[in-house]
Amino acid sequence: MFRDKIELKDFEKMDQEYQDLLRRVLAIQADCEIGGPHLYVEMILPTAPTKLDQLIVARTAAEEIDHYRKIARLAGDIGADVSYVLSRPNQERYVEAFRGRITTWEDFAVFGFLIDRIGRYQLEEFMGCSYAPLERILPEVMREEEGHIDFGTTKTAELAAKGGDSKAKVQKALDCWYVKALDMFGRSDSYRSERYRHWGLKRRTNAQARDEYIKEVNPLIEKMGLQVPDPNKGRLYY
Amino acid sequence: MPQAPNNEALDEHLKDVVQALHGAINWAMPHMNDPKIVDKAIQDCKEILDVVMEGKVSDWLK
Repeated sequence: MFRDKIELKDFEKMDQEYQDLLRRVLAIQADCEIGGPHLYVEMILPTAPTKLDQLIVARTAAEEIDHYRKIARLAGDIGADVSYVLSRPNQERYVEAFRGRITTWEDFAVFGFLIDRIGRYQLEEFMGCSYAPLERILPEVMREEEGHIDFGTTKTAELAAKGGDSKAKVQKALDCWYVKALDMFGRSDSYRSERYRHWGLKRRTNAQARDEYIKEVNPLIEKMGLQVPDPNKGRLYY
Repeated sequence: MPQAPNNEALDEHLKDVVQALHGAINWAMPHMNDPKIVDKAIQDCKEILDVVMEGKVSDWLK
């Protein structure tokens, strides 16, 4: 595994595969950062249950836009223009979880609980990575993602604790997002994932990260009194 | 390594956007019992975010 630390000035000296992989992973990360607001701003900002919730939705979107900005800047510095993801239709996003639209508060809560948590897993992959400028932006981005995860987890638990219709709706949202979350880790036998690891751009295999995620979220779901969804129903990647 | 076109200009524009959003939110947060202030902040955020969601980058950088 490649263990050197690469700065921007060294980038052009790197193997073409390294350059291509870094440009690709930054484009996907930028797409995921801006893909969140594109899922929920239109429907959830005006309809969140309280004015405080509305402000928190706006703050979450602001932070994701800033994450996009930071990643896009890194990509731009190595010659990759990722501004096309600012205007692409949701259906064309790289990752399937970002291809729809969030229309209910339950979905917004579970999105924070499950999908923003994947965002944290993706960012963790870059901790100690070989591209130093990427590693340097992580602390603040990860701190903000933690805030989104905490909010989503708290709201999901509150909705479940209400019981009745509220619990049924949040279970439905969980059933939808759980399999999308597992798919976000990609194929367990992904060749590209191995190359990312070879070049020190990622740390874990897709299967390792997915297993760790399952071990983290399943107990949280059970603690909320919700059912852990079938991990195979509707899955696209294994 | 040549930068992507508009790399710095877009970065600066989005910095301003994010700052404006945080400004509106941080102004409203201590005044949650004043609907006029809070409603205005939410409306400001909505207007800013609508422009970002539209994604017309060339218009932003004119």
